[in-house]
Amino acid sequence: MAARDLAIVAYAHTKFARRSGRSPFAIAGELLEQILDRAGLDKRDIDGLAITPALAEASNPFWSNFMVDYLGLTVGWLQTTDLGGATALANVARAAAAIRAGLCETVLILGADAAMVETHSSYGGYRSEWEQVQGLPGPPGEFGMLMHRYMHVHRLDPEALAKIAVSQRAGAVRNENAYEAFRKPISREDYFASRLIADPIRLLDCVMPLDGGVALLMMSSEKARRLGFRKAAHPTGYAEITNIRADDPLADILETGHAIVGPKALAAAGLRPTDIRVLHPYDDFTFAVLMQLEQMGFCERGGGSRFILETDILFSGDLPINPGGGQLSTGQPGLAGGFVNLVEAVIQILGQAGERQVRDNRNALVAGIGMIPLLRNWGTSNALVLEASA
Amino acid sequence: MSGSPSADQRPVPRPSDFSLPFWAATKERRLLLQYCRDSGRYQFFARPVSLFTGKRNLEWREASGKGRVYTYTTVHHPPTPAWAAHVPYVVGSIELDEGVRIMAHVVNCAPETVEIGMRVRLAWESRGEFNLPVFEPE
Repeated sequence: MAARDLAIVAYAHTKFARRSGRSPFAIAGELLEQILDRAGLDKRDIDGLAITPALAEASNPFWSNFMVDYLGLTVGWLQTTDLGGATALANVARAAAAIRAGLCETVLILGADAAMVETHSSYGGYRSEWEQVQGLPGPPGEFGMLMHRYMHVHRLDPEALAKIAVSQRAGAVRNENAYEAFRKPISREDYFASRLIADPIRLLDCVMPLDGGVALLMMSSEKARRLGFRKAAHPTGYAEITNIRADDPLADILETGHAIVGPKALAAAGLRPTDIRVLHPYDDFTFAVLMQLEQMGFCERGGGSRFILETDILFSGDLPINPGGGQLSTGQPGLAGGFVNLVEAVIQILGQAGERQVRDNRNALVAGIGMIPLLRNWGTSNALVLEASA
Repeated sequence: MSGSPSADQRPVPRPSDFSLPFWAATKERRLLLQYCRDSGRYQFFARPVSLFTGKRNLEWREASGKGRVYTYTTVHHPPTPAWAAHVPYVVGSIELDEGVRIMAHVVNCAPETVEIGMRVRLAWESRGEFNLPVFEPE
């Protein structure tokens, strides 16, 4: 994707809420209206739709058809991607491929979920056969195991995790779409006082599932120019890998797919880690942020704590990390969680972040984590480089 | 672990068609692993094919039940009310001498004494109609 031939020209973002009573379709409707108003386009201009599954509609085998029907869209390309938190970035790449293949011209990339309203998902397989039977509290349990292993091999400074939580919260305070209860600063003392969930994971290391959604509009850069869009976020590098070391039962769980996809996405964009101005790592847990920095080459293995503590990661800092609050402090809208990191990258590049606008918005690296398998790290790792119009 | 079996609301294993031999053997307190006849390697959890070849040339073999703690988490906040009477408990990733890791509770020791690298051996705990493999310090 080194060419800047594709352009994300507009975004939509609902306010995240707890137990809102809204369905994912209602949230998607709000997103459609908002993005059409922002882009100044007619709904007939949209001829492609890429969506995430929703926990609230997981039992619906015709989810994407229902979605276009409820939204009144006729499309030439329609896609649901079930890569969990990695879906948002993955759908940018899939939409890019569809536009380049001539299957459609203008794609709405949308994630909407109402995780707190009703959950119709049933994982089955090894989740019910092993994790649930063992009383493992889902992702916090798996991440607790991952962290303990890391702490056995490397030094993990809890001050670094506290700094991630506190710094991202400062962004959420300035983000009108963040969950309202998260728009209050927290201190390092608050972090250390939060209760243990699955040792060593604390409450303030974890995301909170909420209701809400995000959407983006992507088209060719040529079409964007023709329609008069002056600013855009261009996807210039992407890589994805799922189920690394599938046949190694003793694989080191501290090695993740980001060690592969981070360098690959950067190389595709012709950039190095030191060229990146803003980082949007997937943040279901504070520790995930630290691991992605190490694995993608921003610091050495085991150097994550020091890197975080020595870098100004605030939205106003030298290398902002999740300047809008990330999922930790904006909230995780169910299976649309990965969109939180992606949309903030787009908002910053479009220069529409208001009080939390970063100083240098020429580029950003966004990373995704999809699905937590049994006794490993995560299922899908992906990374996307976005660059501002020259 | 406390509570009478009838009061135990914790989830019970729901075997799949290809994991049923594993669970059936737990009734006799035998820990079975899938063994790939072509590569000579073990795998956990049950798969429909060999992870190493993609073929179905698999058999079930009894494991030694010996291994070490690869990593673990101590659960303090019960994931569902059924677990409330059991916290804190240790869920471990146990590396068996056969070259696989299995998820199981580490029992018969105080949670704070569990360490990565600690040698453990197989024990059993009943759950529904099956038994669950658990591990205790060697």
